[in-house]
Amino acid sequence: MALDASSRARFNLEKASILLLDDTPMGMSILVQIVTGLGAKQLHRCTSIEMAQEVAQTHEIDLAVVDALAPSGQGYDFVQWLRRETQEPNCYAPVLITTAHTPTGDIVRARDAGGHFIIKKPLAPIVLLERIIWVARASRPFLFSGTYVGPDRRFRDDGPPDGVGRRREDLAKAEAEAKAQAEREAEPQAEAPPERSTG
Amino acid sequence: MSSVRFVFPKPRLAELLAMPGGLPVAEAVERAQANLESIKPTCTAELLALLELCEAGYATLRDGFDDAALEGIYAIAVKGIGAGEVCGAPSVDVALTSFCDLLDHLRTLRRFDRAAVGVHVQAWRLLMSPGAPQAGAEQMLEGLLKVRARYAAEAAAAASDAA
Repeated sequence: MALDASSRARFNLEKASILLLDDTPMGMSILVQIVTGLGAKQLHRCTSIEMAQEVAQTHEIDLAVVDALAPSGQGYDFVQWLRRETQEPNCYAPVLITTAHTPTGDIVRARDAGGHFIIKKPLAPIVLLERIIWVARASRPFLFSGTYVGPDRRFRDDGPPDGVGRRREDLAKAEAEAKAQAEREAEPQAEAPPERSTG
Repeated sequence: MSSVRFVFPKPRLAELLAMPGGLPVAEAVERAQANLESIKPTCTAELLALLELCEAGYATLRDGFDDAALEGIYAIAVKGIGAGEVCGAPSVDVALTSFCDLLDHLRTLRRFDRAAVGVHVQAWRLLMSPGAPQAGAEQMLEGLLKVRARYAAEAAAAASDAA
């Protein structure tokens, strides 16, 4: 749901430790002006992956706003590193990825990086705030699989596609259901529960 | 067949946001907008510097596909996206996004189209002109999007063939 820009509802970012990553002075400046306007005070301004890694290893992070760093896309690599290589709680930190443009070749990389949201530039303060509040309140579960570590990307759980399981858990569940069905079919009719007497 | 594990972390951010004090949404957004207004002159100067770099890069382009040269121009254009809004020229962001799309398509297709690249560079310059009429900007953006669309479908087909 969109956040109303004229809302009087209060929020407090003063105590939040926020990592900002953007390698251009202009991009960093825009980001800093927005988050300080929103009331943030504890900012870690990182202009390189190395700086961001150093901060993530030495400070507790409540939120990260990470630029994809086009054209290299190293911002995605940083998020992947954060998810896989840092200790708790930073590996679970809410991450908003900002991007000016995503080349076709980077779409899968962006999807699989492990961020909570990808926000297209230009950044609007209301949109950034809306995403911050959403990501804090939604508290999405984290998924660890062979190829992906990050917040569950599914906003709706419709089960496996076409009823075909892809994971070991899906298979076990399907086998258990099939076994139960076979047992029900094998049960003699006489074992059906007796009808309740109404007399 | 892969196995997965779920963890249900409780990020501290939700608690921090709910702490007493802070700001009403309306005031926070207003402050952020005012902050952005304060960096408008610097932002405009930096965006113009990027435009000059881009024009210089365009001037040195040779005929024929040159991936490194197109990548160089892409690297300049992509850095400008987001600044147009702050500078009071939001059309620049749209034009630069179209430009980056075009360069990405050309690189995917390993093609070169001097006119298509050139029209984007010229549009960037015109949209940065103070007092450029809004109606003219809209027409210009429509034109850019048509140029970009010329390569978009072909690039998408090429990408899906490669997948």
